[in-house]
Amino acid sequence: MKKAIAMLLAAVMLLALASFASADENKVLTIVAWDANTTGYLTAQKEAYEASHPGVTIEYIDVSSQDYDTKVAAMLAGGDTSDIYMVKDIPALLNWYEAGYTTNMNDFIANSNYDLSGFVGMEVNYAMNGEQIALPFRSDFEILFYNKDLFDAAGVEYPNNNMTWEEYKEKALAVTDTTKDIYGTHYHTWLSTAVNYTVADGVNTLVDGEYSDLAYFYQLIQDLEDAGACMPYTEISAAGLHYSGAFGNGNIAMMPMGYWYVATLITNIQNGTYNVKNWGLASMPTKEDVKAGSTFGNLTGAMINKASGNQELAWDYISWLCGEEGSKVTAGTGNRPAWVSEGVADVMSSVDGFPADEGSKAALLPTYVAIEIPGTEFSSQISSILGEEHSAIMTREITIEEGIENMNERVQELLGK
Amino acid sequence: MSKQAKTTALPGQLTPGKIVIYILLILVSAFTLIPFVWMISASLKLDREVFTFPMKWIPETFHWENYSLIWTKVPMLTYFKNTAIIALSVTFIQTLTSSFAAYAFAKMNFKGRNVLFLCYIGTIAVPWQAYMLPQFILMRSMGLYDKLQAIMVLQAFSAFGVFLMRQFYQNVPSDLCEAARIDGLSEYGIWARIMLPLSTAAIATLVIFTFVGTWNDYMGPMIYLTREENKTIQVGLRRFIQENSSDYYLIMAASVVSLVPVTIVFLFLQRYFIEGIATSGLKG
Amino acid sequence: MSGSAEPRKKRKMSRLERKNTLIAYSFLAPNFLGFAIFTLIPVVLSVVMSFTEWKGGSLTTMKWVGLNNYATIFNSAKVGKQMAENGFLSGIGYFFSKVDLGIALKNTVFFTVVTVPLSLICAILLALVLNRAVKGAVVFRAILFFPYVASMVAICVCWNFMLMKNGPVNQFMMFFGSTFNKSWTADSTMAMWAIVLVSVWRNMGYYMVIYLAALQGVPRELYEAATVDGANKMQQFFNVTLPQLRPTTFFASIMLIIGCFKIYDTVAIMTNGGPGRATKMLVLYIYNEAFTNFNYGVASAISMILLLIVLLGTILQFSRENRYSNT
Repeated sequence: MKKAIAMLLAAVMLLALASFASADENKVLTIVAWDANTTGYLTAQKEAYEASHPGVTIEYIDVSSQDYDTKVAAMLAGGDTSDIYMVKDIPALLNWYEAGYTTNMNDFIANSNYDLSGFVGMEVNYAMNGEQIALPFRSDFEILFYNKDLFDAAGVEYPNNNMTWEEYKEKALAVTDTTKDIYGTHYHTWLSTAVNYTVADGVNTLVDGEYSDLAYFYQLIQDLEDAGACMPYTEISAAGLHYSGAFGNGNIAMMPMGYWYVATLITNIQNGTYNVKNWGLASMPTKEDVKAGSTFGNLTGAMINKASGNQELAWDYISWLCGEEGSKVTAGTGNRPAWVSEGVADVMSSVDGFPADEGSKAALLPTYVAIEIPGTEFSSQISSILGEEHSAIMTREITIEEGIENMNERVQELLGK
Repeated sequence: MSKQAKTTALPGQLTPGKIVIYILLILVSAFTLIPFVWMISASLKLDREVFTFPMKWIPETFHWENYSLIWTKVPMLTYFKNTAIIALSVTFIQTLTSSFAAYAFAKMNFKGRNVLFLCYIGTIAVPWQAYMLPQFILMRSMGLYDKLQAIMVLQAFSAFGVFLMRQFYQNVPSDLCEAARIDGLSEYGIWARIMLPLSTAAIATLVIFTFVGTWNDYMGPMIYLTREENKTIQVGLRRFIQENSSDYYLIMAASVVSLVPVTIVFLFLQRYFIEGIATSGLKG
Repeated sequence: MSGSAEPRKKRKMSRLERKNTLIAYSFLAPNFLGFAIFTLIPVVLSVVMSFTEWKGGSLTTMKWVGLNNYATIFNSAKVGKQMAENGFLSGIGYFFSKVDLGIALKNTVFFTVVTVPLSLICAILLALVLNRAVKGAVVFRAILFFPYVASMVAICVCWNFMLMKNGPVNQFMMFFGSTFNKSWTADSTMAMWAIVLVSVWRNMGYYMVIYLAALQGVPRELYEAATVDGANKMQQFFNVTLPQLRPTTFFASIMLIIGCFKIYDTVAIMTNGGPGRATKMLVLYIYNEAFTNFNYGVASAISMILLLIVLLGTILQFSRENRYSNT
């Protein structure tokens, strides 16, 4: 018995010693990102930069996407010295800015010949009080994915780039076949995939405390649910069903989703994981009085950590990542870069596995992209409130009117403080 | 007397009362095991089968390859190694220092005993989420960030271990200690020669609690451990769930695998363990 | 002689006492040092934090704001206005139906009040059954205890499936005439019961084992005496077993109350506080304030409310226990 304990202890110590081992390199750039192992463009960017910049090694610190905010909050508060942090959403970036973790990039931009014009003005979303505190390298917008085979089988015309929501609804109902478990469309559980389309008109926003404009979209979803044209919210949320598998399964005709899904779809079709074969893209439908091709989107970017000891190198990487070369690499993986030139656009549409029809190509160029939720002092609190009421409406625990009344009341109270 | 004779004298006989009891027990056990059965069943299915209703409890074909697939998707072995290092170290430190401290609280009179004990109890009531950030900043300034040792010190000095051991020691008659003191044994001697041998059950209890607690801890390692080579099984499991969020069969296979070590520890120690809780739980 | 011996004895005692205290501290030191540095100091810091505004960053950037955070979480302005305009009760009603803290408090207290007795009753009943000469008691014990060993992440996912529309639990209940067929976590009322169910499922085996041990400690003579007095089984249970189990019930209920008030994992994975705010609990609220909204001061203030309630509950339990043990 004693011998066994002694051996156990020795084993513990050996293992503990083994855990101390660490490595050292020449010039290392540490980047905090989410799902670094499964996100194709991160690997591609790393490889391309390292190839053109010998002597520099990029190291990703992988944080699970679900816990990104929490973990990063702790890391930054603890004085972490990683050089670059990837920016997931604007409210979080605003919080980092207020806590003093961000670096003002204005001087870097002025002192290098970095060209901001490729952003067509989008970079202002990352500017606070005149300071450019981050730059976007990916710009995703909501787009409509559809399964061509299901439309062919039902004899319904493919979705086009000029649809209204009413036309979309008709198509969804026409393709649905409840006897074969075929759904006309699919909504993920997020607030954004359900009702954010309201901001596509460039007038409505989600931070103004007035939400009656959401009613139209809630009504639309409930009608579709009642007709069996989409899986009910309650089942998707209880099962934790992921949108990627849902569309990949091949029994869903349309799905509004962020542009990033293109890359996932291409990879999974190529390695045979998904059942869906022929797919296409269409612009998001719009309300009748809104210009066709309008949609909403979100930016993904990078900021330089104030506590980084490698700020020059970090800027060099960000200016590469958010410039012509980096954007081509990002586009090559099926993602949509934030910085776009003609050269970048060519790469985007020539990605292997991308649908070849003209409509899908045209859908790549939305006429207007509204920012999903702009950064204000209350953005994150408003998101929480809307999320809570969203779940109550979607589970039909309260009516749409009650839910919207609650949203108005709670957000106005927050803003009125 | 007569009642006892009835139930114990003829153990082989099944009375109607006993049959009812067995049926009840089997029902409750089934209720307890149902989620685990589903977990194992789902882990052997193909993706689409998982979602079919009504549920098929037995897969049409058994897809054992799901279990080999998970090892290729994430570095499970590294996660297992790290978790084992942490869990074993924490269990060792926790058991040793808690039983030491608990002896003082239970069997010695000294100034400030009640205040100190209140400190221990008070912290049990504060949710970790509330002091996680100050704690993180403190640990970081001590250079413990992204080191396995961070989780070790975080878990090893929890108030729970001291509380549990104290409850046990209080049940040991004080006369035993008094007699030993008169015999000239030092306090350390009493702890080593009388208390420790008497508390194998309590130690087994604490060992399994600590081991299971550390093994299943998610938030601590999630916040403190960053580099891939330092991650633990629960962080890995959560990552796995996210990266394969549509592949429920893989998630369940990974969950089953993560349950194996704690199950083994539990089965080994459960006899002592059950006695252990028994004795410490007797007295408030 | 006795007059001169007395003071010397006293001095000797105090020296002994001092020595004793030193020895005691040496026993405490290894654990207490670690505990103080890694737990106690951060807890004290979080108490301080509840009176400050802090968005993260260096600890020196904390800004003292007095009771502001408490005013915020109680929404004192709005509640006070309601009280002034429509009376005290209406203000209280507003607090518990509209203010986040009020809703979280209401939910957490409801959850605790239901889960603690249910867990205790299940545990006692199971222990009573297993205390008789039952074959395979070891196996049953192990099975019933097993949920406590499993990690919550995987288990909650499994339970969500069990409780889905057309899932096994609903079908089982429909067999007995229930008409409810909706995913439990998508229903305002049932979502709370889903969390209660999973919690009781997890707790009952653990506390059963504790009761089992306590039952074995009840002296046989007491039952014999009761039988002689002509007490039936029911009377035996209420007059002999239950009073003998009182210390165990006390220990178990304190641990359960603390555990219930601190529930987080189950809620976060199964319902995330929804639908709406139907299962929003205190720790979930704390977590969101701290890590979604970066209001660490507010999060700490909520924690202090939680600490206060739990301490009050514990002290109440202790005093009740003392009253019983004194009579």
